[in-house]
Amino acid sequence: MQVALGVSPWDGDGTAVSGRRSVDPLRRRLAEPQVTALPPRMAASPLPPPDPRFVLRGTQSAVHALHFFGGAQGQGHPLLLSGSLSGLVHIWSLQTRRPVAILDGHQGQCVTWLQTLPQGHQLLSQGRDLKLCLWDLAEGRNAVVDSMHLESMGFCRSSVLTRGQGKWMLAMPGSGSDEVQILEMPSKTSVCTLKPEADAKPGMPMCLELWQAESSPRPLLLAGYEDGSVALWDVSERKVCSRVACHTEPVMGFGFDSQKARGVSGSAEKALAVWSLDEQQALQVCKTHELTNPGIADVKIRPDRKILATAGWDHRVRVFHWRTMKPLAVLSFHSATVHCVAFATDGLLAAGSGDQRISIWSLYPISSDSSTSSLGHVEHREVGAHALA
Amino acid sequence: MMAVFDTPEEAFGVLRPVCVQLTKTQTVESVEQLQAQLRAVSDSALQELQQYVLFPLRFALKTPGPKRECLTQSVVECLTFVLSSTCVKEQELLQELFAELSACLYSPNSQKPSAVSEELKLAVIRGLSTLMHSAYGDIILAFYEPSILPRLGFAVSLLLDLAEREKSKQIKIAALKCLQVLLLQCDCQDHPRALDELEQKQLGDLFASFLPGISMALTRIITGDFKQGHSIVMSSLKIFFKMVSFIMADEQLERIPQVQPKPAVGHRVAELVVHREAKWVKNTSDKLTLLIKKIVECVAVHPHWKARLALIELVEALLLKCSGSLVSSAGPLLKALVGLVNDESPEVQAQCSRVLRHFADQKVVVGNRAFADILSESLHALATSLPRLMSAQDDQGKFSTLSVLLGYLKLLGPKVNFVLNSAAHLQRLSKALIQVLELDVTDLKIVEARRWNSDGLSASPEPMAVQPWSRMQKRYFRFFTDERLFLLVQQVCRLLGFYGDLYLLIDHFLELYHESVVYRKQAAMILNELVAGAAGLEVENLHDKHIKPSPKELREIVTSILEEYTSQENWYLITCIESEEVGEELTMKQSGLQAIASGAHTYQGASFPAFSKPSATICSMNSNIWQICIQLEGIGRFACALGKDFRLLLMSALYPVLEKAGDQTLLISQAATSAMMDICHACGYDSLQHLISQNSDYLVNGISLNLRHLSLHPQTPKVLEVMLWNSDASLLPLVADVVQDVLATLDQFYDKRATSFVSVLHALLAALAQWFPDTDDLGQLQEQSAGEEGSHLSQTPAIPEKGLENTTTAEDIEQFLLSYLREKDVADGNVSDFDHEEEEQSDPPREDESDTGPDIEPPLPVQVQIATDVMERCIHLLSDKNLKIRLKVLDVLDLCIVVLQSRKNQLLPLAHRAWPPLVHRLTNDDPLAVLRAFKVLRTLGGTCGDFLRNRFCKDVLPKLAGSLVSQAPVSARAGPVYSHTLAFKLQLAVLQGLGPLCESLDLGEGDLNKVADACLIYLSAKQPVKLQEAARSVFIRLMRVDPDSTWFLLNELYCPEQFTPPHPRLHPVQLRGTTGQGSPYAANVLRLLQELQ
Repeated sequence: MQVALGVSPWDGDGTAVSGRRSVDPLRRRLAEPQVTALPPRMAASPLPPPDPRFVLRGTQSAVHALHFFGGAQGQGHPLLLSGSLSGLVHIWSLQTRRPVAILDGHQGQCVTWLQTLPQGHQLLSQGRDLKLCLWDLAEGRNAVVDSMHLESMGFCRSSVLTRGQGKWMLAMPGSGSDEVQILEMPSKTSVCTLKPEADAKPGMPMCLELWQAESSPRPLLLAGYEDGSVALWDVSERKVCSRVACHTEPVMGFGFDSQKARGVSGSAEKALAVWSLDEQQALQVCKTHELTNPGIADVKIRPDRKILATAGWDHRVRVFHWRTMKPLAVLSFHSATVHCVAFATDGLLAAGSGDQRISIWSLYPISSDSSTSSLGHVEHREVGAHALA
Repeated sequence: MMAVFDTPEEAFGVLRPVCVQLTKTQTVESVEQLQAQLRAVSDSALQELQQYVLFPLRFALKTPGPKRECLTQSVVECLTFVLSSTCVKEQELLQELFAELSACLYSPNSQKPSAVSEELKLAVIRGLSTLMHSAYGDIILAFYEPSILPRLGFAVSLLLDLAEREKSKQIKIAALKCLQVLLLQCDCQDHPRALDELEQKQLGDLFASFLPGISMALTRIITGDFKQGHSIVMSSLKIFFKMVSFIMADEQLERIPQVQPKPAVGHRVAELVVHREAKWVKNTSDKLTLLIKKIVECVAVHPHWKARLALIELVEALLLKCSGSLVSSAGPLLKALVGLVNDESPEVQAQCSRVLRHFADQKVVVGNRAFADILSESLHALATSLPRLMSAQDDQGKFSTLSVLLGYLKLLGPKVNFVLNSAAHLQRLSKALIQVLELDVTDLKIVEARRWNSDGLSASPEPMAVQPWSRMQKRYFRFFTDERLFLLVQQVCRLLGFYGDLYLLIDHFLELYHESVVYRKQAAMILNELVAGAAGLEVENLHDKHIKPSPKELREIVTSILEEYTSQENWYLITCIESEEVGEELTMKQSGLQAIASGAHTYQGASFPAFSKPSATICSMNSNIWQICIQLEGIGRFACALGKDFRLLLMSALYPVLEKAGDQTLLISQAATSAMMDICHACGYDSLQHLISQNSDYLVNGISLNLRHLSLHPQTPKVLEVMLWNSDASLLPLVADVVQDVLATLDQFYDKRATSFVSVLHALLAALAQWFPDTDDLGQLQEQSAGEEGSHLSQTPAIPEKGLENTTTAEDIEQFLLSYLREKDVADGNVSDFDHEEEEQSDPPREDESDTGPDIEPPLPVQVQIATDVMERCIHLLSDKNLKIRLKVLDVLDLCIVVLQSRKNQLLPLAHRAWPPLVHRLTNDDPLAVLRAFKVLRTLGGTCGDFLRNRFCKDVLPKLAGSLVSQAPVSARAGPVYSHTLAFKLQLAVLQGLGPLCESLDLGEGDLNKVADACLIYLSAKQPVKLQEAARSVFIRLMRVDPDSTWFLLNELYCPEQFTPPHPRLHPVQLRGTTGQGSPYAANVLRLLQELQ
């Protein structure tokens, strides 16, 4: 089961190797991220488990939050932020693979969530010391410029929605155990508190995602609850649009694709649930995907919406094809629970684990040349895999 | 000194008689008289009387009828004398004199020079030369009118004829000099006025008529026998290029009208006049090209450097002045020039470089399309013939061919891409380079040379003083032996890298690298130099404003080459037929590879060529070694090329290099070390150690990933080892997880890979022991006081010692008696019970402690955790089948105990479990293992004596004592060779170790006696000296523990003196020991007893 399911996650752009005839391929080769690119092959033999491209060491404590930053904005090399159990936030340079700065702002309490804001070099970090810190990272600074007190002791990670003109909306667990608080930032004015109806009893919110559909400017909130349900809130009307029970255990994390209006959630149980939103904004479970081992700590969909990754309590990261939910690879490297996964805009995958390591993987690279190649490959392979099965 | 006649009047008075005399009687004597008088006349006076004096002389020349040669000669000499002191101011006179002098050499009835004496020829040539110099001011220009053409032509051909045919070198040179003067190309100071454009054109028109004749004759002279001497060649070359560059000067030719103006001369002469219009230029230039080619070919190999120097002058002049008209000659000219870049004469080299630089500055080539085309064409041509030349020519020929290639590249500079862009030519060029660089891989020594220091990279590598470039490994090439050739090729590659399209070149050579094993090494060498060249390392740049690739581009290129070099199939090659171990690994490798390789990984035409042939021949292994060395050298080169930028590549480059630094093949490990030094220099690290410790995170990354595929990367443990040796405690947090990986992998593969892992564990524990010396004495003291309740026992030995040293006081005696009684109690009582109690007592309170302690036990320090984990494995591995592993494990165990010595909580339970297999090693194993096990025993005894005492006495001591006793007769009989046997070493180790053990384990009396009994035999003088010494050391220790019984024991063996009782009432004591000197124990017992006193 550790072995990739008949498909090599190493399969990159096969043309890169075969087309060495002219000058151009070299340039292209050089421009590409250094991925082991092998030509198309017959998917008959069992493949060795893929390796991480590299591993970041030195947090000296379990890693609970990961977030890629920069690179896409074209300013310098991309960075990876990691939050650890010991309350430190490490800023890693992916070029040198070394920490460039270490932020200490959570009194030694676990950092559970990291998010950069699009404008300015600002970072939000949420810690188990019940504080939400806003950091200024511009020009090598690393100072807390603002901080907020959280009311909830839960594990719920906050969420941010950019509203333009330097304004953004923040959803965070509220003071009541089942409440979610919405704030207008940076003024910190409370917009509303979303409290489920009295008879619903969904338990604590476990994970949140603020978003808005392309068609309408109304902010929406997806929230996963302790009872295993996922609810869609209309923030301006402060009411639940729809709610669906996806799991029998608390929802630990979900990923949502706003374009396809489809999401996938993981919980403490042995299954992933895929659900979607219809035009009436009603949530419905499309299918569930059985896993070998129970417990998913985090789910992330890659920005290009081709694949998704889950962080497993079984020490493994699993990669699925997002459209078909076809399992593509099982990444086994860590020796403890994987707490979080994150994707960079260029497709790099990072996983943080209780073994104090962060593994960086490069799978099915997003080709810079054409928008189709990578997915084309995946789908092509998939057909082959079906045929074999 | 004769009187000087300053005034014309005086002079006339003197000269008149002699002149009249000469006119009358034309004899040599009268000429000499005249000349004698002339010497007394001042120049100014003579000028006035010039015509008058000349008359008799000219008359003498013109007199019809046969003349004696000596007369003519003296007349000419006299004439020359007059002319050298005066000026010719009249046009007519000049012409007449010219004609008369020329006629002297010319017999009227033949076209050939008359057969006159050499002296006369020389005199006439000098006379002509002096005449031309004496022509005053503008009349010289007036002289060169079309009408003079026939006469001038006659003189010119005469002179050429002399220069060509005469035997006398003096005449030849004089004729050439004269010719130079005649053609107004003299380089003496007497021609002050530069010609203006119009004058130049007129002269050019005039001389153009002679060009064919002059150039052909000169060519014949120049290409003549080398024996004629270089000065003639030099002068001829000079005249040649002066003439050609004057007549064919682009400057002049531009102004020539297309239509010939009507010449103002007679018909006959007009036929001789040349009009230098385009067609003529074309024709002439074609013919000249042939001549120039001949000249260049001939002079370029002229043995005298001055001739070659003159050739450079010729090239420079012609290319600078006639770049348009002689465009077709540019090829040979440039070839000549670039061919001399590497001339053996430094003067020629310097001049050549100067000219090249001058050309580059003036953009002679780059600015001139035609030239650039010609050069590209030449390069094309050369590239085409290069493969053939490289295989056919000898070293010297190759040298000049490559010099020419280098010169072309230097001159073309950035325009070299014209040629490179043609696939066919790039192909030829690269083929030739690859061919010439083919290595000779038949040398056996390469495979044989081994690093005997098998401990991997030594912790303190060789000093860094060596300069980075001076460490080239000596290579043997198949097609040449001259080292200079390699340097040339290197320069060629660097220039290509410097000027050429780097992407194109790198891509091309990478392709060749892939194409075949046959090309791989050469392609790698070329790639290395291309990159070095691209970075401008040791490249002589003649072209300013050349854009170098940006650091980022270069880094990307280097990254891609590095990736190729260090890829599985190019980096892990078979380099030795090694013993079982490697063979085993090889099969592992193969099977491992096949598991992966089926399908996907065979995309390389010859995938894993090395693995597919387990029976690799010496040659292929040699070849592999060289390939790795070249690639390593390349990595060093890349580091130099990128400088500090290379730091970013360390994450991928350092690991493979370090891996090779520990390679068994000497050449490879040397190359790797040297690459690491280059990296150190480039990236600014002080030492290899610094480099490794600063980048241990990158190494750890490589190690941990490779451990996952151990069968593919069997070297991984070695790298970890080297890294551990070279790092400090700050590394520990980084390696902690790797260590866990190692242990996990070991658990998985303990049957196959234990050897390499155990050595890693050894390195790890050695590092831990070094990084964390047991400094927290406090903790240790507490532990000790908690653990050692019978501490008074350990203090006892000190007291008697004191007593022995100093004068004994009453208190001492009392103390001694008390402690004696106490000891006697202990001895009488059940000792083992006591120990049991002690143990049982000591253990439970600790558990209580931990129970009542804080809720969470503080996590163990990482090093303690690691040491316990490792010790756990050691317990299992202690009984491994392989002796080597058992030995190594014993060492590791020893280190574990050292690291854990202050952590009794962890150590004791583990020691308890380790005890049975350890006993087995001590009692029932190979002597080597016993030796090591005994060492462990001593360490263990030093740290937890109480724990060990009972076990030791019960399990080990009887066996040890028994073996000592049984072995004693053997050693007593043995000869000197015995000291080299294992049995001896074992005896020695046991004897040396028993003493400290007895002390640290605090053995009871009965056990001490056992020890003493076993060792007594070794005090015999029959035993080897070393064993006696060791046995004495045992007794010295025993004396400290229990001086009295030891004294008694020794005396029982040998009693040196009779004991007379202090008081007659007391019984005399009679000890059993013999008293005679004959006892074999006498010497040692005496010495020991002396110690006791």
